[in-house]
Amino acid sequence: MSLQMLINAILLGGLYALMGIGFSLQWGISGIINLSYGAMVILGSYISLEFFNLFHLDPFISMIISGAILFVIGAAIYRTLLQPFLKGGIVFTIILTFAVRLIVENIILKVWSADYRTIRLTYAGSNFQFGDAYIPLIKFLAFLVAAVLIYLTYLFMMKTKIGKGIQAVALDKEGAQAVGMDVEKMYLINFALGTALAGLTGSLWASIYSFSPHLLGPIVGKVFIIAILGGLGNIWGAAAGGLLLGIAETAGAVFLGSEWQEAIGMVIMVSVLLWRPYGLMGKKFFG
Amino acid sequence: MVLNNKKVNIFLLIIGIILFIFLPRFISGYWVRVITTIFMYAVISQGINLMSGYMGYLPFGNAMFFGIGAYVTAIGMSKGLPFLVVVPLAAITAILFSIIFGLPVLRLRGHYFAIATIGISGALLSVVQNATEITGGAMGTTLPIIDKSPEITYNYFYLAMLALMVITTLTIYLVIKSKFGFGIRSIKANEEAANSMGINTTYHKVTAWAISALFTSIAGALYAYWMSFIGPEEVFDVMIAVNTIVIMLIGGAGSILGPIIGAFVIELFSEVVWSSFLEYHLAVLGITIIIIVFFVPKGITGTIADFVKKRELRLRKKVSV
Repeated sequence: MSLQMLINAILLGGLYALMGIGFSLQWGISGIINLSYGAMVILGSYISLEFFNLFHLDPFISMIISGAILFVIGAAIYRTLLQPFLKGGIVFTIILTFAVRLIVENIILKVWSADYRTIRLTYAGSNFQFGDAYIPLIKFLAFLVAAVLIYLTYLFMMKTKIGKGIQAVALDKEGAQAVGMDVEKMYLINFALGTALAGLTGSLWASIYSFSPHLLGPIVGKVFIIAILGGLGNIWGAAAGGLLLGIAETAGAVFLGSEWQEAIGMVIMVSVLLWRPYGLMGKKFFG
Repeated sequence: MVLNNKKVNIFLLIIGIILFIFLPRFISGYWVRVITTIFMYAVISQGINLMSGYMGYLPFGNAMFFGIGAYVTAIGMSKGLPFLVVVPLAAITAILFSIIFGLPVLRLRGHYFAIATIGISGALLSVVQNATEITGGAMGTTLPIIDKSPEITYNYFYLAMLALMVITTLTIYLVIKSKFGFGIRSIKANEEAANSMGINTTYHKVTAWAISALFTSIAGALYAYWMSFIGPEEVFDVMIAVNTIVIMLIGGAGSILGPIIGAFVIELFSEVVWSSFLEYHLAVLGITIIIIVFFVPKGITGTIADFVKKRELRLRKKVSV
């Protein structure tokens, strides 16, 4: 694998990392397998597309808006649909989030059609040289933004009062309740934060790649793999999982052919599940 | 009650089966096909019901057995084997897969098991798509067409699928009522406790999955011969599992008639939705799922059972007063 390929893999992995963290937090801490996650990512892309078409707003700026909108959507979905059924077991939350996915998918198809869309930025073609490899400027910027966002999420979880509350609830729900914490509020914020991260990723994705509702399913497949690789609810684990998936997919495409990409991810996921069900970096008490 | 409940039930079931056998004479070919699909979904849903409703393990990737059944049939028949030889082969292949994957994967609990089955299903899909020489690849593969008029063919598959549904339901009923079935249900209640009571949980779980795989793969085999063309995306579709999980929830998880009732309700409903809201059928399906989960979370059979129980309690109170 040449230097160029490694750089491409890492740049792709950075986006995967950001994408996986939201899903991992929702699953690991709120206990919800969010099958509507792919729909939320793509919704973020379309929000950026709209702002680009209307006001020529750069996706790197409009990502703040899509993050905020999806935070609200996530909170609303959690409060109205998911919260009453958390005790019903995974069958209910899986089916409910799948229903949300169907509804959002239908809305996207109706408003923006099934065609692939792209956001054409003026600096999309520019790149700079690193050794004997070329780095596309826009992918590099997206990688940097993703890294900063991952670090901010980490800071939020470790330094703020709410973040520490979420950590406490994840460790021991009854214990947190006993010392007077509003457990439901922590779950709500955590879930909404997850969807916000999905929207942010969607905007970044839209600045680089083209997108369409066909990506809904594959995205959910990828975030599953990333979350399992890293260990549920583990931010750095998911970040590492994203990078790993980016590298594994690129390497797999080189050595086996691009048609095996999806299978490689799935095989890695199942092996990790069997070998270390709490993830490569996870600790046993999560999940 | 004066009448013996069990005898009445058996009598009603036999009447129902006879009615269904003669039904194709009174309805159009289109509805014969719709009802055949309903039987098929009921069979797949019974397999998921055994795993999830009775044992508490959600097999999200169960569509893989459907795909295995369909593809073994397609490959076997393209080699010139007759259908009745290929079906047992398909079933044995599916059972082997369920044992090979089941032994490691069924150690995982809850979420993890559901996700691992999705992963295996996705990997199998990729293998089928890429092994072009054997499976025909992503383009799909064709099966020999039956040399009879379409009407006779469709009636044949209608009866075959009906028979499969009846056999599946009876088998799962007998399994659940047996000692083995108690083992399965004790796993759902508390796996550690079941284990410490001397129940071989691994054996129970793998066998249950093998039974589930057996019937799902036969449904896949019938489907492949019926359609005479199959594509990998179509028979390994996760949507098959999602649909059948919804069917199980609506009918009532952990009840023997639940999947059949659910299959009729959901498929007839989506038939109506397809024809009248073509552009919004995804959203309507999504909203329906939400409404059902909110208002009949126990499913149709569960809600009826609750209603009957409440009424009996009321009557008993009146008598005692």
